[in-house]
Amino acid sequence: MADVESISHSGICVHDLKQAEDFYCNVLGAEVHSRVNFKTQDALRGRSIHTTLTLDDYVFAVMLTEDWMEVPDADDLRGANRTRHAFCVPRARFPEILEMLAAHDVPFEGPVTHPEHGPFGESVYFRDPTGNFLEVLWRRDEDAEYNVVQPLGHGGGG
Amino acid sequence: MNGGARRIDGSGLSGISHLVVEVSDGERALNFYKAVLGLDARPLEGWPVAGETAVPLPSKQILVFRAAAANEAEKETGIHQAYRCTAQARAAIAERLAAEGIPVHRYHEDRPAEADDPFYFADPDGNRIQLVSGPGEDGGIAAIDHAAIQASDMEWEEDFFVGQLNFTVDHRVGWNTADYVRARAWAEGKEEMAPGTRRMDHRYRDIPGAEPGRGREVARPNIQIFLDLGEGALGIFLATAHRQEPPPERACGTPRTAIAIDRAAIDGWAETLAGLGVAVEGPVVHDGRSPLAASVYFRDPCGNFFEFCAPAARGI
Repeated sequence: MADVESISHSGICVHDLKQAEDFYCNVLGAEVHSRVNFKTQDALRGRSIHTTLTLDDYVFAVMLTEDWMEVPDADDLRGANRTRHAFCVPRARFPEILEMLAAHDVPFEGPVTHPEHGPFGESVYFRDPTGNFLEVLWRRDEDAEYNVVQPLGHGGGG
Repeated sequence: MNGGARRIDGSGLSGISHLVVEVSDGERALNFYKAVLGLDARPLEGWPVAGETAVPLPSKQILVFRAAAANEAEKETGIHQAYRCTAQARAAIAERLAAEGIPVHRYHEDRPAEADDPFYFADPDGNRIQLVSGPGEDGGIAAIDHAAIQASDMEWEEDFFVGQLNFTVDHRVGWNTADYVRARAWAEGKEEMAPGTRRMDHRYRDIPGAEPGRGREVARPNIQIFLDLGEGALGIFLATAHRQEPPPERACGTPRTAIAIDRAAIDGWAETLAGLGVAVEGPVVHDGRSPLAASVYFRDPCGNFFEFCAPAARGI
C-alpha cells in the first residue's frame, strides 16, 4: 500500500479560464496565485494552460481543456460527474454562502440537512460555469480537537 | 487629432494618435503608401522626434516612418497595423496591389469585430498591413483602426494596461476550449490564419528527464488580448520567441504606439507612469511648430515603446 497521507492539491478542468477565475474568485473567495502558459517561456516548453488558485489553505488549479468535455444537464446540480469538490465553512458562515450564490445567480440545491449522527451538518450543491459539481458544507464536528489541521506531509509533524 | 473621438472613461485618453513604423527607406515607404494606399498628404513640419517622417491621415491621426534595419524575425509574429477605409477605397487599393504583384491574404480572424472581411498584405519592408472597411470618404486609407504588438508576458501586460492604466479587454484568444478546438482546423490546413495567431507546441518539451524534441506536438491558439482604446483597439500577442529588449532606461524608441490624451491629463499620467516602475521620459513640451503640444514616452513591461501625446491647440 502506498500509504499516501493527504490531498496536496487538485485540478478542475474547465472550458473557459477567465470565466472560471471570475467564478472561483468572486463567488467563492479564491485568489489567483499564478497562471501558466501566458509567458513565452511556458509556450516554448509546451506547458498546460491553467491558473492556480488558493482558497484559504487549499490549492487547486483550473485547467483549460483543449477538447470539449461532456457536460451534465443544466438542471443537474447535485451530481458527481467525474468528481465533486466539497468545501467546508464554519456553521456561522454557511448562510453567507447561500447569499453569495443567490447574489451571483448561481443555481443551487439545498441547504440539505444531513443525519444528526454524521459529521456533516448541511450542504448546498451547485456547479461552476463549466458544469463541475461543487458543494459547500459545515461540519457538526467543527470544534472537535481531532479536526485540527496537522502539518502536512511526512507523517504530520516532527 | 481625434478631437471628437470616444474617450476611455476618466482617463483623458482617446484612441491612437499615431503609429511609428520602421522602414528601411523612408522615401520608398512614403511613395508606396501614397501610390498604393492613397495616402494623400505631405509630411508634417516640425515633427518633434528627429529621424521620423510624419504624414497625416484624413482622421487627423498620423502615420510616422522611421528608418531602421528590418527585423526579419518579427515578420512571422502577430505584429501589424490596421487602417480603415471605405469598401470602394479598398477595392481600388486591391487593384493597385494586384498590379504591383503584392499578394492579399484573407486570413480568418479570432476577434469577432474583424471577422467579416479580412484583408492583409505587406508593405515593401514586410510590415503586415490590414485594411478594415468602414464608413468615410472614398480615396485611400482614412484612419488607424488598430495596432498589434507582441509581449513575452501577457500577465504583466494585462496588469499594466488594465490594472494600472484602466484600459478594458475587448476580446481574449486562447482562454477557452473553443479556441483550441479551432486551432486544430488550422493545423489540418482547413483554416488560413495570420502569422502569430497559432502555434505548434511540443508538450512538456524540456521537463527534467524528458527527451528534448520528443514531446507530443499540439496545435494551439497563440494567446492574445485586445484592449479597447476608446477609439480603436490595441492587440497584444504572446511572443513565441525571446527577443532582445532595448536598454531598460530607454523610454523613447520605435516601433511606437502613440495614444492621444487631453493636454490637461498629461502631467498626471507622467506621474502615474513613473510610479509604475517602467522607463518614462517626459512630459516633453514640444515647440510651437510641432503638431503635438506635449508627449510622455514610456515602455510597457515587455519593452514595447508607447507615447501619450496631446495635440497642438492649432491642430495639424
